[in-house]
Amino acid sequence: MSPITLILIALGLGLVGWLAGRAKAWSFQSGAAAQRTASRPVYHAWYVALWVVIPVLVFVIAWSIIAPQLVLQSVLASPAAEALPAFGFERDAFIGEARAVALGQAPGVFNDEAEALIGPFRDAFGRYNTIGLIVTVLIALAGGALAFLRLRPQFGARTKVERTVMMILLLASLVAILTTMGIFASLVFETVRFFGMVSPIDFLFGTKWGPDTMASPDAIDPSRYGAVPLFWGTIFIGAIIAMIVAIPLGLMSAIYLTQYADPRVRTWIKPLLELLAGVPTVVYGYFAALTLAPMIRDAAVAIGITSASTESALAAGIVMGVMIIPFVSSMADDSMAAVPGAMRDGSLAMGATKSETIRRVLFPAALPGIVAGIMLAVSRAIGETMIVVMAASPAANLTANPLEPMSTVTVQIVKLLTGEQSTDHPATLSAYALGFVLFMVTLALNFIALRVVKRFREAYE
Amino acid sequence: MTVIHPNMTDEGAKIRARDVCVYYGDKKAIDEVSIDISPNYVTAFIGPSGCGKSTFLRCFNRMNDTIGTAKVTGLIELDGEDIHGNRMDVVQLRARVGMVFQKPNPFPKSIYENIAYGPKIHGLAEKKADLDVVVERSLTRAGLWDEVKDRLDDSGTALSGGQQQRLCIARAIAVDPEVILMDEPASALDPIATAKIEELIDELSGRYAIVIVTHSMQQAARVSQRTAFFHLGKMVEYGPTSEIFTNPIEERTKDYITGRYG
Repeated sequence: MSPITLILIALGLGLVGWLAGRAKAWSFQSGAAAQRTASRPVYHAWYVALWVVIPVLVFVIAWSIIAPQLVLQSVLASPAAEALPAFGFERDAFIGEARAVALGQAPGVFNDEAEALIGPFRDAFGRYNTIGLIVTVLIALAGGALAFLRLRPQFGARTKVERTVMMILLLASLVAILTTMGIFASLVFETVRFFGMVSPIDFLFGTKWGPDTMASPDAIDPSRYGAVPLFWGTIFIGAIIAMIVAIPLGLMSAIYLTQYADPRVRTWIKPLLELLAGVPTVVYGYFAALTLAPMIRDAAVAIGITSASTESALAAGIVMGVMIIPFVSSMADDSMAAVPGAMRDGSLAMGATKSETIRRVLFPAALPGIVAGIMLAVSRAIGETMIVVMAASPAANLTANPLEPMSTVTVQIVKLLTGEQSTDHPATLSAYALGFVLFMVTLALNFIALRVVKRFREAYE
Repeated sequence: MTVIHPNMTDEGAKIRARDVCVYYGDKKAIDEVSIDISPNYVTAFIGPSGCGKSTFLRCFNRMNDTIGTAKVTGLIELDGEDIHGNRMDVVQLRARVGMVFQKPNPFPKSIYENIAYGPKIHGLAEKKADLDVVVERSLTRAGLWDEVKDRLDDSGTALSGGQQQRLCIARAIAVDPEVILMDEPASALDPIATAKIEELIDELSGRYAIVIVTHSMQQAARVSQRTAFFHLGKMVEYGPTSEIFTNPIEERTKDYITGRYG
């Protein structure tokens, strides 16, 4: 019996509990001994229903983890299991086949040795399904009865339900936090493994990048794991070229939108601009790789730079800059709009023109928010993958010439983790180390940016 | 119809307004107001909330231009010059007619920079030494110099509310205006800070023509020599402050100053 069935049963019993709770609460309010209840009947109903469903849910989650182990153990304890190979690939295959047939997921066995295990598997599944069902119903009834018996006219069901709602919401938010922590932990773990093979000094300060995935893990050449060209490529494309494009365009569009645009124009342009943020990055990648990059190469060749590549850092950087314009402009827009109107009036009343007011009063006042927006945009740009995978190069060059091909951290991670790789080869593990560095940098940028924004908000509240 | 008390005719007019109407969209906020503002006195606009006194004040430096839906008709002259005329530059007008707002609004810059802002944008003082002189003179006239002279580099927003408002007055003075408009300058302040602002208005009168909007009748009585009473977008009565408060002609004025409504 699948966990879904058990949950459906629990929900059914929960409904019964809900109706019973409400009926009981109604009975308090009517008849000869009618009195005011502390909570409306619907809260009594929810209180009972929650006591039915939540314990069952906890049980089902635990049971769906434990039950397969119990089934396996009882099968292995059966006489038929003695014929199995002691361990290894074959043993796992036989067990898997027999389980699939017993569950009805496969028509028959491929290896005859598995045949004998089907019976024990069927028995074990039957037994544990019954146990699961009985326990589910018992828990539901016990929870429901306990809650039902506690209902009194003065019982504070409302506050109890309120507290449960809060706990559910708290759990929901914990999921995201725990996932992030899990990702971080796995990154750290693999990174530490990598640094056991290649020293952090070589990795962080080496200037040559070219992991050899074919080399034996025992004979690693640490000089091929110098990530400086990747860090430079990432900064050059994401934080320099992209920002040269995004900062002026983003700020000017924000100034136009907040200070000059007619409200009707603003209601059109602002969503359109924010639409840029919703374009899938792979589409930007097409544009960069197929349209802009050849144009840049042709232009460079036309003015006599023959070394220009179709995988230039410039193409990737420019398109990335366009992509993050909305990040810069919407933060700048918000922080300029947050500057009190009195400030603007004060400046205008002094006889300042509109552009003087923007330049000398609004812009400086909004600067912390604008800077924070730029930092968030940088962290977005250096973590961006698709555009650079498509438009930048896999070759890690350490150069300041934007027409040369250049690679970024994210491109290398994709390259190292796609296709066939061995999970304990340093080339594969180096991807985690790169990811770890990227994670720390974007985390730091976000952290600083949010601190700045917070202080900025406080200044005007 | 507006009642204008006699014997104010020979004062001359710094600002002359004739048949001024202000519309916000379709709504008429000011209805055919005509007034002469004397150069030598403090003129107070009083009246219940929403009567249009602030709107009318903002006509004199064309701050209503900054509100997209507002439209001003009629004639307003500053020293006989039409402020809506082609030859009047709104930037120059606002340098000549300064304004202090209801809520102190110092710029988030240093005290020094707050005062230096106007002279810089109007090119009144280019050199640092000249600016220093303007800053000290303006702060001194606003009665703030002794309190802030040792911390001119501190942020203007770090001052107390009353000090901020005097900073805003100093900022307005710094460009050497001819008229200062004050829109309920003390309504956000405590009684002690209010008293200081009123004292300051007293000291500044004579040097500048001052027009103050207030909904405190006591304040109007204390600081002004001329009072105009507004009601529902119209100017009901205009005359010497002492007469308006002791011997009003119009019934509505009498009702308002005796506290029957408003």
